Amino acid sequence: MTAAAPASAAVRVVATTADLAALAAAIGGDLVEVQTIVPPGSDPEAFEPRPGDLDKVRRADILVRVGLGYDYWLDRLVGQIGDKRLMRGGEAYVDASAGIPLLEIRGQTVVNEGGHAHGVANPHYWLDPENAATVTAGIAEAFVRRAPAQAPGILAKREHFLAALDAALQRWIARLAPFAGVKLIAYHNSWPYFSRRFRLDVLDFVEPKPGVAPSPAHLARLIAEGRRSNVRAILHEPYEPEDSSRLLAQKLGVPFVLLATSVGSVAGVKDYLDLFEHNTAALAKALGAPGE
Amino acid sequence: MADALSLLLVPFAASVAFVLIHAYLGVHVLRRNIVFADLALAQLSALGATVAFALGYAPASPAGFGYALLFTAIGAALLTFTRGLSRIMSQEAFVGILYVVATAATILVVDRAPQGAEHVKKILIGNILTVGPPELAKFAALYAAIGLFHWLARKPLLAISNDAEPAGRGRLAVSLWDFMFFLSFGIVVTSSVTTAGVLLVFSFLIVPAVIGSLFSRKIDGVLPIAWGAGILASGAGLAGSYVLDLPTGAAMVAAFALLLVLAGLAGALLFLDAGRRRANWGIAARSAGLLVLMLTFAASLWLILNPAADQPLAALVEAATGIGPAQYLPARERELYADAARDMRRFQAEVDRLNAGERAARYQRAPLSDEEIRRIASYQQSFSEMTRGEGFVQDVLRTKARARERWIFGLPLALAALLGLGLLGRPLWRARPVRL
Repeated sequence: MTAAAPASAAVRVVATTADLAALAAAIGGDLVEVQTIVPPGSDPEAFEPRPGDLDKVRRADILVRVGLGYDYWLDRLVGQIGDKRLMRGGEAYVDASAGIPLLEIRGQTVVNEGGHAHGVANPHYWLDPENAATVTAGIAEAFVRRAPAQAPGILAKREHFLAALDAALQRWIARLAPFAGVKLIAYHNSWPYFSRRFRLDVLDFVEPKPGVAPSPAHLARLIAEGRRSNVRAILHEPYEPEDSSRLLAQKLGVPFVLLATSVGSVAGVKDYLDLFEHNTAALAKALGAPGE
Repeated sequence: MADALSLLLVPFAASVAFVLIHAYLGVHVLRRNIVFADLALAQLSALGATVAFALGYAPASPAGFGYALLFTAIGAALLTFTRGLSRIMSQEAFVGILYVVATAATILVVDRAPQGAEHVKKILIGNILTVGPPELAKFAALYAAIGLFHWLARKPLLAISNDAEPAGRGRLAVSLWDFMFFLSFGIVVTSSVTTAGVLLVFSFLIVPAVIGSLFSRKIDGVLPIAWGAGILASGAGLAGSYVLDLPTGAAMVAAFALLLVLAGLAGALLFLDAGRRRANWGIAARSAGLLVLMLTFAASLWLILNPAADQPLAALVEAATGIGPAQYLPARERELYADAARDMRRFQAEVDRLNAGERAARYQRAPLSDEEIRRIASYQQSFSEMTRGEGFVQDVLRTKARARERWIFGLPLALAALLGLGLLGRPLWRARPVRL
C-alpha cells in the first residue's frame, strides 16, 4: 500500500499539530514538504479526523505525533490504513514525546479522569523551547532513515535552527526574568512546561476539570484564592470559551492575557519562534502594565 | 459568601428578565403546538452569526447582529409559511427539519472559519453565570419593547395562537400577524441563546408555561403561575449550582424539571376535591411503594446473578449501614483490604508530594535539571502504577465480599420485595383506574 517512488524529491512529513509541523519545517526547509492534520486554531484535544486526513496519513513519509494520549485519534486513522510503516515502531513513525522530561506524570497507562484525557503526563511539552532539541532529533532521525543521502543537509539545518532558537530563548528568558514567581491563573492546564522554563507560578485553573465549565462555587473559590495570593493575570487559551476567564479577570482587577498554545492559534504566530515571541511579549506587557 | 452573592445576583436578575418574556411566549408556543420553534429560530440566528463570523465580523458587531437578525427573519417567514402546510403535514415536522438543517449548515460554515468551534460551543451551552450589568440593561430594554408590542397586539396574537383558522380574519392578516409573532419571538431567543444556551432557553420557554397550564386554562391565570414558577426554579437552580458545586446552566435545567414534577404531583394530590384527592393519594402511595419494591427486587436479583458488576443496591446498603465490603471478608482478607486502601492513600500522597515539589521548583529556588525531572517522573510513574495495583487488589476483594453479601442480604431482600409486590399489587390490579 506504500506509494513508493515519490514524484518530488522532498520528503513528505505529516504532523498532527501545527507546532510539530512548524518544527519539522524549521529543520527541513526545502528538503521536506510538511502537512498538518489539525487545522491551526482548532482544539487538538477535541479534534475529529476527516476522510481527507486518511489520505494525508497514508501518503506520509514521516508521521509525527504529540503522543501521551493527546492525539489519540491518530491510532484509529493508522489502524484503518493498516500500514506497519506508520505504526508504533515503524520506520515512518515519530512520537515526539520520546525523550522529553515529562511533567505531571499519571502513570504508564492512559486514563480518562473526567473531561478529556491528559493521560500519561501533561502533553503540552512543545511550550518549552528547550524541548525543541529532542523533538527535532526524533524528526531528523526519521528523515535520515528515509533519505540517508541527505543526512548532512538536514543535520546542518537543525543545528542552525537550534542555535537561532537558543539565542532567542536567552532574550525571552531575560524578558520574563523580572516576573519570576509571579502568580497566575490559567483557563486550562497548558502551561507547566512554559512555567518551568520561564519561572512562573500557575496556581489554579478556571476549568475545574479539562473541558468542564466552572461552577459558581469554583469561580468564587478562584476569586478568593486570587485575592489571597495576589494573582497578577488570567491566562487564556484560544478556542476556549472566554466569558469565565474575563469575568474572573474583571473581578480580580487583573489583565486577561490571550496566549498562543499553538502555532497559528493567534493571529501573527506563524512559526515556532513566533509562538514564544508572542507569548513572552504579551505576558511581559500585561504584567508590566502600569496601574496593576 | 459575599463573592457568591456578587456572582449570582446579576445572573438571577437576567433569569427573571428571561422568565418574564420567555414564559409568556411559551404560552403561545404551547398553544400553537410547535415547542421546538425556538430551537429552530435560535439555530437560524446562530447560523447568521456564524456566517458573519466567517466573513470576518466580530460576533458583537452591528454586522454580526444584522446577519443574525436577517437569518431570524428568514426563519420567521418560513415558520409563517408552515401554517399553510399544517393541513398536509405536521408543523412540528417542518420545525424539526428547519432546526436540523440550520444546525448542519452552521457546522459546515464553522468548518471554514478558524476558531469557529468556540462560537458554536457557546451557543449550545451558553454561560449565564458571566452575564454582566450592561448586558442585563440591554435585555431589559429589548424585552420591555417586545412586551409592549405583544400587549398592544394581544388580541390578534392570542386569536391566531389559539386557533389554526381564526374566524373573521383574512388570510393575509393572519400571515402578517404570524410573521410578526415569529419575528419578535426570534429576536427574543436570538438575544437569550448566546447568554443562556439553547437548553436553558428551552426550559425558560416551555417549563413555566406547562406548569401554568397544569393549573389554569385562561392566559391571565396561566401567566402569573408560570412567572412565579420560572423565577422560583431559576433561583433554586442558581443556588443549587453554588451550594452543590454544579455547572450553572445544567443545574438550572434540572431545577426546572424538578419543579415541573413537584407541580404535577401537587396538581394531582393537593388541588382537587376531597374524593379524587384521596383516591390519587392512594394510587401515588401504592405506585411509589411498587416502584421501590420493583427496584429492590431487580437490584438484589442483579447482585445474586452478577456480584462482580457495579452493584447499586450493595453500595447503598454499605453506605447506609456503614458496614463496608471488608466486614464480609475473613480476617486475613479484611486485613489485605485495609492494607490496600492505606497503601493507595500513601502512594497517592507520594505522587502529590513529588508533584508539589516539582511545581514549586518551577519558580522557587534553583530550577530542577532534566535529569532530576526524569527521576521524579519515574518515581511518579511507579507510584501511580502501584496505586493502580492496590486498586485492583481492592476490586478483587470487593467482588469476593459481594459474592457473600448476595446471600447475606441480597436473597432476603429479593424475597421480601417479591412478597411486598404480591401484597401491594393485589388491590391495584382489582381497582378501577381513576382519572388523574
